Amino acid sequence: MKFFARVSMALEGVTIAFEAIRGNKVRAALTISGVAVGVFVVVTMAAAVHGIRESFQKDLDEFGATTFQINRRDPGNNQCNSPDDPCPDRKNPPVSLDELHAIQNLPEVAYAVARIGNQGTMIYRDHQLKSVGFDAYTSDWIRTDRADISPGRSFTESEDQSAAPLIIVNDTLKSQLFGDSDPLGKEITLEGKPFTVIGVFHTKAGFLKTLNGTGPDNPRAIIPMMTAWRHLSVYKRGISVAVMPQPSVTRDDAMDAVTALLRSRRGIKPGANNSFYLVGEDRIMDIFNQFFGAIFLVGITLSGVGLLVGGVGVVAIMMISVTERTREIGVRKALGATSAIILWQFLVEAATLTTLGAAIGLVIGAVLSWLVKIYTPIPASIPPEAVLVALVAAAGTGILFGMMPAARAARMDPVESLRHE
Amino acid sequence: MSPQTDDVALSTTAERKVVVQSAGAQPGKDWVIVTRGLKREYDMGGEIVRALQGVDLAIRKNEYVAIMGPSGSGKSTLMNLIGCLDTPNGGEYWLSGQLVSTMKDDELARVRNKEIGFVFQTFNLLPRASALHNVELPLVYAGVGSAERKERAMEALTKVQLADRASHRPNELSGGQRQRVAIARALVNRPAILLADEPTGNLDSTTSEEIMRVFENLASTGQTVIMVTHEPDIAAHARRVVVLRDGKIASDERNQKVTSSLGL
Repeated sequence: MKFFARVSMALEGVTIAFEAIRGNKVRAALTISGVAVGVFVVVTMAAAVHGIRESFQKDLDEFGATTFQINRRDPGNNQCNSPDDPCPDRKNPPVSLDELHAIQNLPEVAYAVARIGNQGTMIYRDHQLKSVGFDAYTSDWIRTDRADISPGRSFTESEDQSAAPLIIVNDTLKSQLFGDSDPLGKEITLEGKPFTVIGVFHTKAGFLKTLNGTGPDNPRAIIPMMTAWRHLSVYKRGISVAVMPQPSVTRDDAMDAVTALLRSRRGIKPGANNSFYLVGEDRIMDIFNQFFGAIFLVGITLSGVGLLVGGVGVVAIMMISVTERTREIGVRKALGATSAIILWQFLVEAATLTTLGAAIGLVIGAVLSWLVKIYTPIPASIPPEAVLVALVAAAGTGILFGMMPAARAARMDPVESLRHE
Repeated sequence: MSPQTDDVALSTTAERKVVVQSAGAQPGKDWVIVTRGLKREYDMGGEIVRALQGVDLAIRKNEYVAIMGPSGSGKSTLMNLIGCLDTPNGGEYWLSGQLVSTMKDDELARVRNKEIGFVFQTFNLLPRASALHNVELPLVYAGVGSAERKERAMEALTKVQLADRASHRPNELSGGQRQRVAIARALVNRPAILLADEPTGNLDSTTSEEIMRVFENLASTGQTVIMVTHEPDIAAHARRVVVLRDGKIASDERNQKVTSSLGL
């Protein structure tokens, strides 16, 4: 059989499938809906995960592709809460200020920013805001992508070293405390200590920030590290350091240099484990993928069930279709159709049914993803490859489940089927 | 004796005898159909029904033959075998010089496509396809490209005077028109034989006459036509009539003698 004849017959099969669907609308709708539900569930889910992932990636890009973080504990394995938990990370010392300075002086390092996070009550005249999150940074934070100040300025290194009581507020905090008036130079109290406002920073939106309350909609402030260190009660063991390597140095080389430095300063014997964790963007992405991989697995299972239901429907509708068209099969055989051609025709028909179901599922999924994007913080967007996978999986289901009825049609005896009423 | 039987090829009893008796030998080129001792038995729940009990039949190119017989005589079985829809239990069947009695299903499908044009009592057109598409179907299975297919299908429809009905569906056509579409479909692949099974069984007498005229025309332009019927006045159009009785050929003669022997 020549190729174009096969294609032409496939097209004929598609046409016949649409005719069969038109002829039996209810039956076809039931079959199609199983596949459609499966596809729409997985597509919506994929859209949500994909959107979150993209947005997360943007957060990470802001963090910097070559930037890495020095943590006391493994960020991917944080369940060290019970006191009975044999949690070795608990014994790890925090990064000390001396270690921070040594890291900052490494030739491989462009700059290193230490951070301690906390929250406290902020008061400006008669406005009082409780539990406002703030970050204490060393002065180099201004060099990260996060810094975006206007109006005003950040603090200098000497202001940090001298623990100057300066504060930078974000847009939300500014409007909650000061309304429309100019905040610069105003004095607010944080945990009972006076701070002078020197700038306003703008938080970029990001899905994770929205989830953990550090997004642009929440009031937030930045103060110098040493100010927090000396004048506020902060959890000093919670210090983390973000390291930006020199432009000519790869991240791995910089990580090696930091590891060597910390190991020698801490006197860790060769072969013993590090008492700290270096976390790059890829590691954070790994943690993300672990988490969403599980969600995705659920989605795949659900859509698998949908396709299975659709597949069983395909068997039913095709069996009826084959029986109803027994005489047609006889005629086709009489006119020279081989068993393979009949098989092919019915497989194409089954695949058309399920692919149509998938297409409908995709449309519903697209509409739903769009609604999710508009009405929830989840930035859902359908990954293009999911469209392809859905259509191929649906066509595959049609062919797999269409095999039994199609084989029955192909095996029919021409004499018997021509005699069929 | 009408003059038309003389001006076309009609095999003689003697010629046929020679051909059917040389078992195993490939028949000469102008013999379209040769069966030698053709047998077909059915197992009907333990009981063996001998539908055909050794049929020797030879049909030469350009012959117009009617196969007759009462019901149960085996004429449907013979038609199915001649049409390569079924395989015999014994004997030989040569179609256009090929031994088809030993062929497998897929080979038979190809032979049907190439050598045989079927015309059925109930027309058997695909209800949801246009007349043109119905006529195209054998060409689809022959692997003919779309443009040539359309052209040849139109040509065949023109032959049966239905070119203006090409886009109509079967339910938009009269019975006679449907049967003419079926004839166009049977002819489109230029088959060695046109095999008609009770072609007028579902038509009124006027329309039947119209269809018989189409067959007459085809026969006179060189098409081999084999027609299975139980109606003597339809069989009377053929130039040679084979009568089956109890799975055997009871008579195989020129038209006039047969009709008189049936007492018509």
